[in-house]
Amino acid sequence: MTILYLILPLALVLAGGAVAAFIWTVRSGQLDDVDTPPYRILFDDEGARPSHRSRRRSRARG
Amino acid sequence: MATAARAPSEAICLHCSLPVPAGRRSPFCCAGCEVVHGAIAAHGLDQFYALRDAPAPAHTTEHAYTELDDPAFHRLHVRRAPSGQATASLYLEDLRCGACVWLVENAPRCVPGVTGIRVDLGRSRADVAWDPSVTSLSAIARHLDRIGHPPHPYRGLEREALRRREDRALLVKLGVAGAAAGNIMLLAIALYAGMFDGMSLGDTGFFRWASMCVAVPALGFAATPFFRTAIGALRARRLHLDLPLSIGIVAGLVWGTANVVRGVGEIYFDSLAMLVFLLLVARWIVLRHQRRASTAAELLLSLTPSRAHRLEGGREIDVPIEAIAPGDVVRVLAGEVVPVDGEVIAGRTAFDVGLLTGESQPIDVGPGASAHAGTLNLAAAVEIRATAVGEATRVGKLVAGIAALSTRAPIERLVDRVAGRFVAIVSSAAALTLLGWSVRSVALGAEHAMALLIVTCPCALALATPLAVTVALGRAARRGVLIKGADALERLATPGTMFVDKTGTLTAGKLAVVSWRGDLDAAGLAAAIEAGSSHPIARALRAHAPPTGVALDVHEELGRGIRATIGGREVLVGAPPWVRQRCSSQPVMEGWIAELAERGETPIAIACDGAMIAIAGLADPIRADAAGALDQLTRLGWTVHLLSGDDVRVARRVGAALGVPVARCHGAVSPEDKVAAVVAARAHGPAVMVGDGVNDAAALAAASAGIAVSGAAEIAIEAADVYLRSPSIGEIAATAAGAQATLATIRRNLRFSLVYNIVAGGLAMTGVIHPLIAAAVMPLSSLTVLASSLRSKAFRP
Repeated sequence: MTILYLILPLALVLAGGAVAAFIWTVRSGQLDDVDTPPYRILFDDEGARPSHRSRRRSRARG
Repeated sequence: MATAARAPSEAICLHCSLPVPAGRRSPFCCAGCEVVHGAIAAHGLDQFYALRDAPAPAHTTEHAYTELDDPAFHRLHVRRAPSGQATASLYLEDLRCGACVWLVENAPRCVPGVTGIRVDLGRSRADVAWDPSVTSLSAIARHLDRIGHPPHPYRGLEREALRRREDRALLVKLGVAGAAAGNIMLLAIALYAGMFDGMSLGDTGFFRWASMCVAVPALGFAATPFFRTAIGALRARRLHLDLPLSIGIVAGLVWGTANVVRGVGEIYFDSLAMLVFLLLVARWIVLRHQRRASTAAELLLSLTPSRAHRLEGGREIDVPIEAIAPGDVVRVLAGEVVPVDGEVIAGRTAFDVGLLTGESQPIDVGPGASAHAGTLNLAAAVEIRATAVGEATRVGKLVAGIAALSTRAPIERLVDRVAGRFVAIVSSAAALTLLGWSVRSVALGAEHAMALLIVTCPCALALATPLAVTVALGRAARRGVLIKGADALERLATPGTMFVDKTGTLTAGKLAVVSWRGDLDAAGLAAAIEAGSSHPIARALRAHAPPTGVALDVHEELGRGIRATIGGREVLVGAPPWVRQRCSSQPVMEGWIAELAERGETPIAIACDGAMIAIAGLADPIRADAAGALDQLTRLGWTVHLLSGDDVRVARRVGAALGVPVARCHGAVSPEDKVAAVVAARAHGPAVMVGDGVNDAAALAAASAGIAVSGAAEIAIEAADVYLRSPSIGEIAATAAGAQATLATIRRNLRFSLVYNIVAGGLAMTGVIHPLIAAAVMPLSSLTVLASSLRSKAFRP
């Protein structure tokens, strides 16, 4: 069972990484508003890329 | 879009999905919808109609928003980045679903110069960034207005920043505690398995060291909120639930570390990590519920008018209220709120001063009369020369006074009282255990005493209140009762004195015809003659009866009466002295006038062809559900007092109709008198204030709990702990009953958790407790408390 002496610290380091990532998301404000983003993923990114606009609009009308 | 197609009568509006009125030659129900739909289609945003899941509102004001470009506004609400980009936060009306978010966030495509816009649906807020050299905030505001979301400057940004810092700190601690609890639990499972199947001493030691390395730093950090309150309570020589919690956590960490170093004895890191995690979860849920209620109430503040029409050389310019200086002349249109204290210099109108003073009768004003900020202009446009602005106004001074009053002394919560006794009992039990076992061995005594401190760490006790309160706050919010703090529920649970404001709370807050003497047909004539007037008395007469005939040749003398011919007959409607001068009167009419005046109503005389034919009695009608609400409050054990800014006769008339004894009806009460009454009553027990106006705000803040009813002034909403969003005032009684039910649930939860602690403590004293039992029983007791909270009767529909 000596492998435990390597695996366990490694697992804890990974967990520490996850916690650090979580703290970063909180501090950067990603969890301040949890109501709006679920809607935002549903939008087409039409507005962000005007070059695609005409093609998509013609498809929507056709 | 087939705009020209004739819509069948059963057609629904293309924009808002309401039925299109028969005979309208367009697929829209109204011009507003047509404008909004046109704006959306013009920008190629038709996808909005596919995305939405609620009918779109057709609310657009067509306002120019020029006040948003004023330098005074920019100083207060606009932030400038070094790159020149400007950002501002706006409160948007009618943000309801994902489609609204999409529509608003597409603004950069529709308004050149907008560099970014981000919507927060929960807070109805949009953060806009734009390039001031290309566009202006007013252009962006006009666009948002035209797509159906009129914007307002977002107030309370500092308060929100403060809250966000708190929320983030708690969330980080919650995450750390959760990760620690999960990992320690995995290690503990291995240790428990090793206990039964055999595990080499080296492996056991390694797992124990690993648990310690995770638990001590993680819990030391995550449990700081508990330590901080415990130390604060100790300094203030008060008892607080966090004290026994902190003792348990610290004892567990220290004793566990000692045992890991020694290599023998029990460790309790898994139970402790779970405990801290559960407590933080409970705190976070309660905080979220409270935030939601306060945000919903405070959003209304953003709706307060922020612009005034300033007259500059005969031209009318919209400016932010902050830009008005004493000496400026402002124009106040009918239906607007007066923005400054000052003197009327042109125009005649009626002011509704109800929110400011509690008087229900409108006041007729003309040139030379004084005007106060916060009063509503009812009838016609007037020009006012400002003498005081902002905080120097009467309402501003009232608000400043409220801030001083609303620092409420913290109440001793039920759970803190229990915690006090709990600390005493547990520490004497621990001393007893130490002494008792020391007869055999001091080390054994210390171990059992520590085990006692750790297993009795009152997790369920700490969850008892937050869970019950969370369930109550959530259910109350769904009913339209917004409760801003958990404390308010406990303050409302013990019956005491309840002061209820009359105007706008028990009554509708606007004039209506409540009695009629004489010719009933005259009501139609009165309605016809008042058809074109916007005076509150005219509105009341119009609402009373359908008009008969059309009034010609109308002459209105504001504040006195109105004269016209209807169907060839000369009709007069107005104050009795004015009518009496122009036609004959009879003793019976004079008797009625005196009778109505005696009852506190405003008599209005109606004359036809030179003779008085009817008298209307106008008053502020009592809300239909008021009597039931007061009756229910009395049954719950409250002593109801009625406070009114009106004459004492009016207060008594309303009191008599609602069954409030004469001695408890107080008339002609100033805002200061209201505060004094509340403060005096607080000496004898809980004193709750219910009100709606600026004049009630100070009393709402001074009371042990304040309730603002729907339609209340924004200052009143801010000062109160509870805001009733639904117009029914029956909710006052429901709130009091809900608070009592919540406290009953808290008591039941406390009993459950104390039973658990007695059992676990007894086991620890006799030395038979095992960490595994502690780890199993603790979540079980918490679950019991959770189930009990969900079964609560509080605010059940």
